[in-house]
Amino acid sequence: MTSCRIDGIRHGRGAGTLALLCIAAALALPARAAAAFKVVTTTEGLAALASEVGKGRAQVESLSRGVQDPHFVDANPMLAVKLRNADLLVDVGLELEIGWLPPLVNQSRNPDIQPSGKRRLTAATAISVLDVPRGPVDRSLGDLHPAGNPHFLTDPRRALQVATAIADRLAALDPGGAQAYRANLAEFGKRLEADAARWQGQLAPAKGKKVFTQHRTLTYFFDWSGIDSAGEIEPRPGVPAPPSHLAELVQVAQREGVKAVLVEDYYDTKSAEVVVRHAGAKLVQLPGDVGAEPGVTTYEKYMDAVVSRVAKGVQ
Amino acid sequence: MRSLVVAALVAAAAPLPAPAQQAGGSAPAPSSSTPPTPAPPKAPMGSGQSDAERKKLEEQITRELGAAGAQPQAPAQPGTQPGAAPAAPGGGQPAAATGGSPFARLLLIPDISAIGSAAGAYDSYDVPSRSPRAGLYSPPSRPEFSLEELELGIQAVVDPYVRADVFISFSAEGVDVEEAYVTTLSLPASLQIRAGKFFSPFGRQNQQHPHIWDFVDAPLARNRLLADETLSGPGVELGWLAPLPWFAELKVAAQTTVPMAADSPEPTAVARLLQYFSLSDATTLGVGLSGARRREGAGAFRDLGGADAYLRIRPLNTRAYLALQGEVYLRRFRGVEGLDAGTEHGWWTQAFWRMNPYWGYGVRYEEAPAAAVDVTGTERRIGAVVTWFPSEFLRLRLQPSYDRVGGRDGFEALVHLEFGIGAHGAHPY
Repeated sequence: MTSCRIDGIRHGRGAGTLALLCIAAALALPARAAAAFKVVTTTEGLAALASEVGKGRAQVESLSRGVQDPHFVDANPMLAVKLRNADLLVDVGLELEIGWLPPLVNQSRNPDIQPSGKRRLTAATAISVLDVPRGPVDRSLGDLHPAGNPHFLTDPRRALQVATAIADRLAALDPGGAQAYRANLAEFGKRLEADAARWQGQLAPAKGKKVFTQHRTLTYFFDWSGIDSAGEIEPRPGVPAPPSHLAELVQVAQREGVKAVLVEDYYDTKSAEVVVRHAGAKLVQLPGDVGAEPGVTTYEKYMDAVVSRVAKGVQ
Repeated sequence: MRSLVVAALVAAAAPLPAPAQQAGGSAPAPSSSTPPTPAPPKAPMGSGQSDAERKKLEEQITRELGAAGAQPQAPAQPGTQPGAAPAAPGGGQPAAATGGSPFARLLLIPDISAIGSAAGAYDSYDVPSRSPRAGLYSPPSRPEFSLEELELGIQAVVDPYVRADVFISFSAEGVDVEEAYVTTLSLPASLQIRAGKFFSPFGRQNQQHPHIWDFVDAPLARNRLLADETLSGPGVELGWLAPLPWFAELKVAAQTTVPMAADSPEPTAVARLLQYFSLSDATTLGVGLSGARRREGAGAFRDLGGADAYLRIRPLNTRAYLALQGEVYLRRFRGVEGLDAGTEHGWWTQAFWRMNPYWGYGVRYEEAPAAAVDVTGTERRIGAVVTWFPSEFLRLRLQPSYDRVGGRDGFEALVHLEFGIGAHGAHPY
């Protein structure tokens, strides 16, 4: 097994510790247990999709919680411990997790979950990306995502594409469960198809209507539902709104008949409330992800909440 | 030193599994924005093979290839770099790659960043004679502006086995390669090796670059007992993440260090045990123990000890947090003429409250052995900091402090501007 050569170093204590380390390391080698297939995701939305696909076989855990703003998760080393034994890491990509995931992956000592490793699936590679900036990009545009908009799970079509990618990868890594994963996916796809028809029905009266959002989190939802965005409360991503911008939004709202301001519950609503008050619109708070509110425990329940609140808010 | 690294790498790489036969190459191609019906996934290659059979085959192949040459691990399958590839224009199909990607060179450029800091200082007393230290200060009672530092960071993955991180500092003292090291990415048994020049794994703050400190300057005790800037040097480090349900990492390093300007380069052994515990969803506690022994000529040593703690409280649904931390340092010279005066010690503790994304407030208290020309005993300093973050990439700080040593008082005020541009790798916790 591992041979540890410590010749060439003559610090008494250093050599002793090295030898001890080697023994301990050798003991720790058969680390990957044959138990359940461990899937770790960066967000609860991805975890919900992985749970659908891996039902009965995979053990799924999310690094962040639905109540958290996924842009600003702490790179807490406790999360590296979860990554150490991950059989598959599913991340969103498009630099959503750039501020916290890379150091955790490096700390985890899990070589296969490095970017493009065989146990790493970046969900963004499974979908067509929107809001890709054209032309030169710099930070005067705010804290934008230079590779495109990473908030794509609010579109059930894309959610299914991601679920399909997860199923494919699970089947490749865990061939014994391939059949189960495919069956789960087919069943989830069928359910989602029925859900989507129902959701489209709920949103039909809202089609073509205009709304504001806090951050560009709902581009894909609009792409799917046919609702239009009239702008964002943040003048630029991550930049707080000055009064001049809010005043402009109020005018836009009056001119274009904006009825609702959609804000995920991890955002402060102070600026949105100002616009709502002056424009006579409604503030609609949405769960930011699966797990953001009690009861929002699955992807379908999450979309149920988003769709019904938007439909009601836009009336 | 170098041969040790190579030996360790070879030893570690040898028992690695050969390339996995069933590459997980079924990542779905980006599909267009039309709603898909889930296509029946294709059967993964080699799905009939059991793990045990594959393992056996691997062992056989390893034997066939002979023990002489180390077999490097197969590179990860070249996939698209997530996020880095030039994405197709919104919603459309990727353009046909006639003549290849025009972005090829861009994609290979490492992450490059620059962090600049400029400051204004006012001190009511003569710092070099009363409280000699590194960092910002002004001549007595005369405000002074300075460009403190420009840190250039160049970071990238080198190959499938290691990544490299380089930090170059430009300051009034000249240009210095602060750190330049490679880190292994695929050693087995939870091991990781760093080699090159790096900040020693001793204590909490010693491994941080100044732009992640809450306060503008380093604690006095660190300056006086560890190193006048940072305990660092060329060498090699082995880190092991223990297979425990909490985070427990042991690091041992062998480096050549020059802690103080007057010191000559000498071999130094450093060890650090760092553990993190989750006390609740919102609360994390980190505790570290460090030790180092530096040769001080024949038969003489400088022993360093340290303990540090970090407590961070951040309710999950906010960006506000409270961070409490502190460190104790011990130093003892053994067999060094004129310096066998027992164990010296110093410590600091601070609290920082990030109220919201834009404002943060901190207080710090420190004690350190006095270093004034005419005074012995303890120097005490208390300071506060007010920080404004206009964005994630800019911060402005005001830091007043009060210093007392040998019965005399000193007042200091610092204003500090710091900006970051480019792609700077995220920092560990």
